[in-house]
Amino acid sequence: MIVLENVSKIYKNGTKALNDFSLEIQDGEFVYIIGETGSGKSTLIKLLNGEEIPTKGRVLVNGTNVGRLRFGKVPLYRRKIGVVFQDYQLLKNKTVFDNIAFALEVINKSKEEVRKRVKEVLEIIDLANEFNSYPTELSGGQQQRVVIGRAIANNPSILICDEPTGNLDPRHSKEIIELLEKINRSGTTIIVVTHDYVLVDTYKKRTILLDNGSIVSDDSEGGYIHV
Amino acid sequence: MFRRIGRAFKEAWWGIRHHRAMVFSTVVTISITLAILSILGVLIANINQITYDIEEEIQVFVKIDNDVEEKDIEELQLKVSRISGVAGVVYSDADSELTYFIEQYGESGSIFEIYRDDNPLSRAFIVSVSTGFSISEVSKQIGTLDGIAEVNFGGFAIENFISLLGGIRKAGLVLALAIIPLAIYLIYNTIKITIHSRREEIGIMRLVGATNSYIRIPLVLEGIFIGIIGAILPCVGTVFGYQYFYEQMNGQLISGILKLVDVFPFTLYVSAILLAVGVFVGLIGSWWSATRSLRWKR
Repeated sequence: MIVLENVSKIYKNGTKALNDFSLEIQDGEFVYIIGETGSGKSTLIKLLNGEEIPTKGRVLVNGTNVGRLRFGKVPLYRRKIGVVFQDYQLLKNKTVFDNIAFALEVINKSKEEVRKRVKEVLEIIDLANEFNSYPTELSGGQQQRVVIGRAIANNPSILICDEPTGNLDPRHSKEIIELLEKINRSGTTIIVVTHDYVLVDTYKKRTILLDNGSIVSDDSEGGYIHV
Repeated sequence: MFRRIGRAFKEAWWGIRHHRAMVFSTVVTISITLAILSILGVLIANINQITYDIEEEIQVFVKIDNDVEEKDIEELQLKVSRISGVAGVVYSDADSELTYFIEQYGESGSIFEIYRDDNPLSRAFIVSVSTGFSISEVSKQIGTLDGIAEVNFGGFAIENFISLLGGIRKAGLVLALAIIPLAIYLIYNTIKITIHSRREEIGIMRLVGATNSYIRIPLVLEGIFIGIIGAILPCVGTVFGYQYFYEQMNGQLISGILKLVDVFPFTLYVSAILLAVGVFVGLIGSWWSATRSLRWKR
């Protein structure tokens, strides 16, 4: 479960990114976070993955107070959450298999464990036949699926996606959302930060609209939101 | 554990192969630095040897006043030995002095045997000093004691020579200590470039939960490898270069008194030190760079 209690974030340059922000996301939910540029979406992601600490308030993820985590504990915390960004961030000199395996290797999983889990992940992301391809040989949608595969390799309980369809055409965007729905059905909490209102309207989920670091609306039914 | 070590080695080697130009320039500079260090080391070791040899040779010859009675000799010897800088005092009676004198002249010295019964030579103390620098001061102090007739030492030239050698040794040490930070800084920059060129990979590692030590170890190993590679040529150069110099000089400097340090195991020790310095600068430079670049900021 994710709980943000009266969180404010003011950067060193004085920018107020979040303003007395409170939010609760239950285990297994699928949530869209939408809003204009500068509304606080990116800061929210940074707070959730321990990249930033709140100026005020508490960020609790599965009972862990993320803002109070010591630096040495941040890597261990990050193994429990997956993060996907808009720019695919794949290692171009590694194959699809190796890119996914990388996430397991850096946390010292055995070769056997890596091989077994990567195979499972390749099935989930529907790229079993492309395991030996390099990122440059894949379409944008396929690359993003590999990134998602890498993010879920450690079986995280939460998957945070920052504009996962930002660089994709509608067909590939649809594939990505359907993949995220599939992952969500297995119990993983999904948070999607997006500008793609068409997608939000098509695949209706709980939708939180941010503006100037505050929640403007939190609609559990979802759908198109007039900003 | 072994898998982790294997990965660290593999990645360190990758870093070296992918930044060949930068690594090459760092290796060359480290080789030059270590070569200078080797020359200084060889110089300092030989100065030490020469100084030691001279100090072993030089003695203060102290003539005892003829008025001093035999029973007081032991007390006088004790007084001399208590003077700061005195390493040892050997008493030589007049008869021993004559024997020594006769020996100095070889076979023809036997003509002085006629003085055996009416020996004109004085009793003496042969004083050895702990360091060559103190010889004149020690001599001066011995001369102030009652019962001492005359004090002789090699003269100020020896003292000045030892002093000069000491000065060169100190300058060499200072220079050696000054160039090590330069080598460390070069490795620091090389690793910084490695980190920059791998920032994407490092970013992903952090994203998926790699610890800082997991990221840092291959970088530190890379620095150590560069240090070791940089040490190879100076090590080989030290062994063969010094051997050549030693043979050219017939193992001595100026005269037979000033002997050079033997090639073995001396050059092997110097090489081991160069290798250790290579590893040290590699370790410190890369650790410093990795720690600074990978520091968590939030």
